[in-house]
Amino acid sequence: MEEQRYDAIVIGAGHNGMALATYLGKSGWKVLVLERRLEEGGGLCTEHYTRPGFLHNLHSNYHTFVGLCPVYEDLGLVGEPDGVKYAYPPVQMGSIFEDGTAMTIHTDMAKTHASMSRFSKKDADTFQRLYKEVKGFQDLMISTLMYAPPIDVNDITKALSTWKVEEKTEFFRARLRSMSINDFLNKHFENEKVKTMLAFHAAVCGYYTDLVGLAISFPFMLGKIDNWRLCIGGSHRLAHTLWRQMRRNNVTLRMASPVEEIIVENGRAVGVRTSDGNEFFADKLVASSLDLDQTFNKMLPTDILPQNVKSDVDAYEYQDGTLFSVHMAMHKIPTYKAAAFDPDINNAWVLNMGYECLEDFNKDWKDIRSGKVPEDPKLNVAINSMFDPTDAPEGKATGVIRVIAPYDVDGKGPGIWASNFKNAYSNRCIRKMEKYCDNFTAEDILQAKPYTPLDISEKLTNMKRGDWMVGRICEDNLMGNRPTPLMSQYKTPVEGLYLCGSTTHPHGFITFGPGYNALQVIADDFGLDKWWIEI
Amino acid sequence: MIIKKEYDAIVIGAGNMGLTLGAYLQRSGMQTAVFERRHEEGSAIFTSECTAPGFMHNLHAQYMEFMDWMPIYHDFNLEKLGARCVYPHAQSGIAFSDGRPPIVIYSKEHPENFEKTYKSIAQYSKHDAQTFVDLTKKILLMEDLFAQMIYSPAVQPTPENPYADIQAREMFTQMLELPSFVNNMAPPDVYDYLFETDELKTLLNRMAVEWCAPLEREGAGLGALTIFNLYFNWRLMVGGTHTLAHGMEMAGVNEGMEVFESSEVVKILLDGKKAVGIRLKDGTEVRARKLVASNADLKATLLRMVGEENLSPLWRKRAQDFQIGPSSILASTALALHEAPDYKSARWNPDINKTFYTVVGFDTNKDILEYCMDAVYGRIPRIPGAGTWVNSLWDPTYAPPGKHSLTGWFFMPKASTHTREEWEEVRATHNDKFIRHFEKWAPNMTWDNVIDHYFYTPLDQEDEMRLMEGDFMNGAMKLHQLGPNRPFPEANQYRTEIEGLYLCGPYMHPGGGASSATGYNCFKIVAEDFGLDKCWEKTGRGY
Repeated sequence: MEEQRYDAIVIGAGHNGMALATYLGKSGWKVLVLERRLEEGGGLCTEHYTRPGFLHNLHSNYHTFVGLCPVYEDLGLVGEPDGVKYAYPPVQMGSIFEDGTAMTIHTDMAKTHASMSRFSKKDADTFQRLYKEVKGFQDLMISTLMYAPPIDVNDITKALSTWKVEEKTEFFRARLRSMSINDFLNKHFENEKVKTMLAFHAAVCGYYTDLVGLAISFPFMLGKIDNWRLCIGGSHRLAHTLWRQMRRNNVTLRMASPVEEIIVENGRAVGVRTSDGNEFFADKLVASSLDLDQTFNKMLPTDILPQNVKSDVDAYEYQDGTLFSVHMAMHKIPTYKAAAFDPDINNAWVLNMGYECLEDFNKDWKDIRSGKVPEDPKLNVAINSMFDPTDAPEGKATGVIRVIAPYDVDGKGPGIWASNFKNAYSNRCIRKMEKYCDNFTAEDILQAKPYTPLDISEKLTNMKRGDWMVGRICEDNLMGNRPTPLMSQYKTPVEGLYLCGSTTHPHGFITFGPGYNALQVIADDFGLDKWWIEI
Repeated sequence: MIIKKEYDAIVIGAGNMGLTLGAYLQRSGMQTAVFERRHEEGSAIFTSECTAPGFMHNLHAQYMEFMDWMPIYHDFNLEKLGARCVYPHAQSGIAFSDGRPPIVIYSKEHPENFEKTYKSIAQYSKHDAQTFVDLTKKILLMEDLFAQMIYSPAVQPTPENPYADIQAREMFTQMLELPSFVNNMAPPDVYDYLFETDELKTLLNRMAVEWCAPLEREGAGLGALTIFNLYFNWRLMVGGTHTLAHGMEMAGVNEGMEVFESSEVVKILLDGKKAVGIRLKDGTEVRARKLVASNADLKATLLRMVGEENLSPLWRKRAQDFQIGPSSILASTALALHEAPDYKSARWNPDINKTFYTVVGFDTNKDILEYCMDAVYGRIPRIPGAGTWVNSLWDPTYAPPGKHSLTGWFFMPKASTHTREEWEEVRATHNDKFIRHFEKWAPNMTWDNVIDHYFYTPLDQEDEMRLMEGDFMNGAMKLHQLGPNRPFPEANQYRTEIEGLYLCGPYMHPGGGASSATGYNCFKIVAEDFGLDKCWEKTGRGY
């Protein structure tokens, strides 16, 4: 017989939902997590997508908050007893340019500096100063801007000037608020290839370089440009470990249980009904890690939301673009012509092949906003097997090509992604990659299989329009504005209903921020002992 | 991954057998770690979204016939750990291309279902309908005995009674009031002996192969009868078969067991003639204070992990001689569909459109026999027929709203009979043959109805799950490898000649499938050897 009553019910077993549930379970609450899919983890999703034996991270691939995010330690996700293991590639990322040159970002700053210096000594020095300055603020920023309920951007600016931070820094200025990442790069750097490398890093993180206001996040982002890690055995291993820890803390996970309705009594969320007709009740709270549309339009009884909130929910915006991926089962690991210039490029994990200048990014953003699939795909390529040999059979390799692409194409919806166009575009991406390689052609691919923007939204319904950030990354939808000013503190107009997913601050990506921050608010509301905070 | 240097027990392989053994060991107070080569637990208890997003396919284990009996399911309350079942009303059936009446066998949920099954068969023969229903009723009474046979180490011949196992087999035929020579028959002979309807025999023969009673094998008569226990016992795991694996892992985790995925064991460490630990592919060594148990395949365990050089000549020969295949070799097809198949035969009985397991593509018993013989003799079967499931008919979480997911099994020759390139050719062509064939049975099953498709070869099964040759039993179910002879007489008690090394894979008695039985039975032996609490004796279920 299944238990029907819990202290808390969490909707969605993505990494945020599971993290929140585990903290609450560890605090002694009886918690139920309900998941629509068969597997836990949401975007922590690893499958034999091409062929048996080849593991592909269909969504999350880069984990950049390991060692920064408190959740890993608090919940025992790394280390004893059976936590995940991360590979930490010494050459983190690189750009290969058409003229045969290449730039590499290393975990060793001296090497990064040396690589950049070949393009511009001045820029390499600037980058080093910027990086050093960011590191000086990193702990503060991590604890206040990522792993705490968001504060208003105005307050941050005020604080910066009140504490006279501006006088002491070269890069953190209130003016960042009115700048795009392009502006920031143009202001501080002179070499187009250095700018391109840094803009590529931002683009892979989901930050569009031409949007005014996003420069405010950029220095912080750069501070972890050397913290890109790969989960051994696939990203799903992190989900699995999280689940084990959740179980060890007495949380119940119910799979294949789509929530149909959040039950509201006297204006208060008291439970949920699943599609198989079961009802589960929560004495303290219901927390949704889903997007606004599902939570408010599909699961709550109509008319329960005030009109102004409903309008905000309906007007909620998603990222302009998403990702088109080509997953590859390969006979070998590619090497590149540009290795003649910089041999380290053959050992780099995340590779830019296509972006040559900031204008290339601008053109892509423009195309994507007008619903055009970039004619000449600009690739980001990662061959995970170089660092995790368990992801492919011996002597073989697993790789992925990704291109930023629109969900809606030419105003006709996403239908084109279900057509044969996806295979044609996949071939175009592979041909593009061939140009940069000296030993690798389409012949070396055992099987290539596209994974489209439409596939993203159909597999993980939370990622509406294929938006893996679950909400636009722009000034109006960050910090205290995300997802709406009213709900930025993880609470909703419905009493007892909390938000804890990527639609809230900070955003998508494996940050664990939304789940962790929702926990802080819940802990305050219910007077929980914050055992997870070191004083 | 940081691994403690020592555990009481180490289990190699997190398949359903290994997880079961691990959970019971941990509950008995042994600190246990399970090491798994793949990134996921469960091995063939596996569900894949291989066609299109939102479409779930159980490419290996599909119908769950053991749920009522499976000890771990009840002892550890796996339902609460997420492994929930659906019990489909119409259990198994067969449709025909000329629109003849289908045969549909119904669940045992309601007594009136016997009547429904009777009516379905009686359209062809009242005699057969009566025989079938009588036989199933008798077999229902023997369920406990049957469960006891599965969930206990094999009956051993003793010096006093060297025919104990044969007598046990014969007891079943006696209870069914059948002559004992039925035991010595091949399955098609048994059905010829019992029934006159070709249509019914077609269905039964197809299912016999799945239940590892190979059609060509004389002496598989008992197997051909025990499947009567299954026709009406099939469950569907909600969300996907894989939820059962999740539940099993969490059962152990609840008790304190540790699980390490992406951790391939390459060596069993020996101290003289005693197993004392394992070495992983990355060089990590982990010590076992009391025992190591392997769920990995037999040859890999003995010849590679222990090492030929560490085996006696007898054990080396036994391991080398162990036969895998040629029966029970599977390939799977997966189709993401707009509509579920609408069979011509449905005009006689619409239930065939909502039957859990439907045999499609075979019009006569001769078709089935030829098809199976093709596979056994190393040919890709000329008839592209299959056993099929449309799980979304029973559980909407298997497909996006309004759509359907179909999974099917083909019997195929052993993986080693064809080259990698030849299997690629099969992968590229067999679904097309299947769809074109299927259309004759269900006119809506054209390529227009297919959103996306996937084909999984026997070689894939070997590559992915180490189900060698694609044999889902991981070892032929031949008479000389059954009961006390499985995998070979000297190893039939889950122990090996290496002290502290146990075997718990599907090559042990009673064989493979999502039964968890070899893990459970191995636990009983370990419990005896180490003086652990015999928890099963307190359950009152008799096994």
